[in-house]
Amino acid sequence: MSGFVRGKFAFGLKLVLLAITTAVLALLTESAYAQKEYLIGTFILIAILALNFTYLTKYSIPLKFFVPGILFFFAFVIAPILYTGTMSVYKYQTGNYLSKPAAIEQVLILGAQPDAAGTTFDIVVGKNSANQYAILVSDITNNKYFISAKTSRTPVPVSEVKLNADKVAISAPGFKPISLNVLASNNSYANIRYFYEGKYYISIESETVGAVFTQGLSYSESTGIMTNLLTGDKYKDNGKGNFAKIGGTRDQILSPGWRAPVWFQNYTRLVTDNRIRTPLIGVFIWTIFFAGFSVLSTFAFGLLLAMALNRRMRGRKVYRSILILPYAMPSIMSILIWAGMFDSQFGAINSILHTNIAWFSDASLARGAVLLVNLWLGFPYFYLICSGALQAIPSELLEAAAIDGANPRQVFRKITLPLLLQILSPLLIASFAFNFNNFNLIYLLTGGGPRDTLDGHVAGATDILISYTYQIAFGKNIQDFGLASAISVLIFILIGSISIFGLRRTKVLETFE
Amino acid sequence: MNRKRLGVLGALTAAALAVTVAVVPGAHAANEIVIWADETRGPHLTSVFAAKGDWVPGYTIKVVTFSSYDALGAAFDKTSGTTGPDILVAGNDWVVASAKSGKLAPVTLTAGQKSHFTPSQFYDLSYQGKLYGIPVDINNVSMIYNTKLVKTAPTSFGDMVNFYKANKTALGLKAGLCISGGGMAWGGLSVFSALGANPYQMYNGRPNYHYTFDPAVFASNVKTYLLDANGKSNGFYPATDTGCMDNFLAGTVPYSVIGNWHWKTFVDKGFAMNLMPVPGAKAGTYGQMFGSVSGAFLTAYAEKHGVAVGAKSLLVNFFASTAGQVAYEALEGRPPAEKGAQSSPLVSDAQKGFGQAAGLSSMPQIGAFLGNNSGGANYWDSSGAYWTAVLVNGKDPLVEAKKLSKMWAKNVAAGKGDL
Repeated sequence: MSGFVRGKFAFGLKLVLLAITTAVLALLTESAYAQKEYLIGTFILIAILALNFTYLTKYSIPLKFFVPGILFFFAFVIAPILYTGTMSVYKYQTGNYLSKPAAIEQVLILGAQPDAAGTTFDIVVGKNSANQYAILVSDITNNKYFISAKTSRTPVPVSEVKLNADKVAISAPGFKPISLNVLASNNSYANIRYFYEGKYYISIESETVGAVFTQGLSYSESTGIMTNLLTGDKYKDNGKGNFAKIGGTRDQILSPGWRAPVWFQNYTRLVTDNRIRTPLIGVFIWTIFFAGFSVLSTFAFGLLLAMALNRRMRGRKVYRSILILPYAMPSIMSILIWAGMFDSQFGAINSILHTNIAWFSDASLARGAVLLVNLWLGFPYFYLICSGALQAIPSELLEAAAIDGANPRQVFRKITLPLLLQILSPLLIASFAFNFNNFNLIYLLTGGGPRDTLDGHVAGATDILISYTYQIAFGKNIQDFGLASAISVLIFILIGSISIFGLRRTKVLETFE
Repeated sequence: MNRKRLGVLGALTAAALAVTVAVVPGAHAANEIVIWADETRGPHLTSVFAAKGDWVPGYTIKVVTFSSYDALGAAFDKTSGTTGPDILVAGNDWVVASAKSGKLAPVTLTAGQKSHFTPSQFYDLSYQGKLYGIPVDINNVSMIYNTKLVKTAPTSFGDMVNFYKANKTALGLKAGLCISGGGMAWGGLSVFSALGANPYQMYNGRPNYHYTFDPAVFASNVKTYLLDANGKSNGFYPATDTGCMDNFLAGTVPYSVIGNWHWKTFVDKGFAMNLMPVPGAKAGTYGQMFGSVSGAFLTAYAEKHGVAVGAKSLLVNFFASTAGQVAYEALEGRPPAEKGAQSSPLVSDAQKGFGQAAGLSSMPQIGAFLGNNSGGANYWDSSGAYWTAVLVNGKDPLVEAKKLSKMWAKNVAAGKGDL
């Protein structure tokens, strides 16, 4: 065994593992740089150096244990927080995903306008007598044929072209067709705009079809102005990620837009946008109540069961196993089963009670159902924790109290509970934070409802901040990552503050020190 | 660390790198057209292209299958200008957002290619006047009736309600009509429409922007057919689709709206495909249903990848062709969108039945209207909310219908600019 962890074999194994890790990370670095994800690429590069330096030198023994954790901490905790914070000051939503250069490129592509008749031709791609890429165009309707290159168009008399059964020209003098197989391996012909007439050109729409277009938009890099060549309208960067028509209305913008910094606009929307601001306070209060009540109820019920099963009794192991079952079952399954049980028409609960209650259509009933299901999902956790914690309380303390004349209620109130709270405070705070963001439960059980959709209400009665964020940020036809990030940052600050306050009040951290 | 050890490490790293490069799939090849599809369409496309892969000379075709439609959507959301598929096969409801965000690229079809399809199908796949894909298969619903319970096809909505009321107790019916396929909003449009409410109306193949449904007529029908004298639901039409399919298959619901992707389930359980649109309040009229199409979309990435022409050719040669759609729909089982494929003997009777039902009474699914929420909520959220408000919460059908009518009219007016 000692040879396995110390000898040459161990060193060899270390080298192999390090080599594999380095190779995988090197590949990821290359891929990240290739996709222009420079920050990610640089981070992985630093990780490679850090790992190799740490494990190939004897500079620091503790670092050998900490480096993987530190790297993962940066990659999966710090980086997402920084990214979310950064995105919160950007206009980053449906219509504004691309970078500005990519958006300009796309706007110009979309600015290509077909001619009024939507003219299309059968074409053959090849090279002309000047060895330039060209297309042999068949205007079957007018019985005309011509060879078109980037800057020229040469008519070919019908008598000189070779036609197929559909009257499509397949060859002509001075034109050398290129086989489709060859074209597939060389794309350079595809982006050429083949001259048609005036401002119109032929664009290749498939290997055998060309369509007539004119460029409707042009962009001047020096002025940053996008001009509509057909109407003369000018568009400039509106500072919000779009080209907006100069002198036009707010809606007269070109698509797509780009991710643009809007600084604190996403945050100010939370207080200036009526659709968001109005329900926010109600949602916030319900979120606090939901998280607080969930923690209290699951803790109280878990503690009650732990105390009940803390004494010797027949079948205790069976009871304990049964009580853990809700925790062992995937919560998503449990929630969906509960949702089915609460169904007003076919649900088991109404069926058993012989009622026809619409549980999720009434605000109070829906909230009650949410709290009940969360109690079901959460109590086994606190039952397990409390069972362990109860056994950690020195029995001498309890015996001494009993000898001093304390009754069981006093022992619980003055000794057991304070000691338990001292031990469990961090877990209670963590549970509060978890429930504050308990998106799965709300989304799967009630969908945040009931809400008065027909009255234009966005927030539902059971919506908590995170599900409300989802509702407003990821509606059916828009995804507003910037706004979602801003709310996420606020939730982060809120939970962070509550957690720090709670931990300080309970003095748990000081105890650990 | 001596040089020898460093050398060993270097050699090992190089070897590991070589193995990793060989194992990890690289970037897309220059003449490879990459298609992304969901868990049902993906395997079928893979099979079709495995059997015949030369739809575009010189190009190979690779189909990437995602575990679900949502997974496909999530992956496509994450694509940027430097990654992604060349062709995306998906529902038309992604067109507006994806085109608006510059993720899709427009395609131009010849008049001949367009003639293979019904013009209204192109509405589903267009944004601001540009077409972004080829209609692949028709997604529609149809009403099926259980001949073990009902001997003849109903001629009006009232026929169905009367049957339900007369036989509710004797047959142990749990509902009269319910939505098995497409959900209360998409599948349930036919019920709204049968009773007089449409989110928009088509006229001569184009949207009629002056249309708003009459809340009084619709509310009157709701009162007559779906509510008891005390204003509560009479149980004929449940406000949710939960358990509908199971109840229909168990023989406790006589009429059900089913999706065309479900027909095999019903056939396997011994049901004949007695398909028809939901009959309207007046005999001989029908509720309209969404006859939307899924599309094969050209992405903006195809241009970056250098296969835009190849991808466009595949769209035309395979997805827009009779041969391509027949080969694909033989496996996929939905009604093909292409006209030639619709009449092919290789397309099943059930597929044709859905196609005929769509032909009798369908309207295009225009995402620009349906996804718009300028009126306070989009169609998808507001339609279900109406049934909950009226059938579950007992609210006044007329008051709620007025809100709905106003909301839908605003959404259409605001969505007009996206067409």
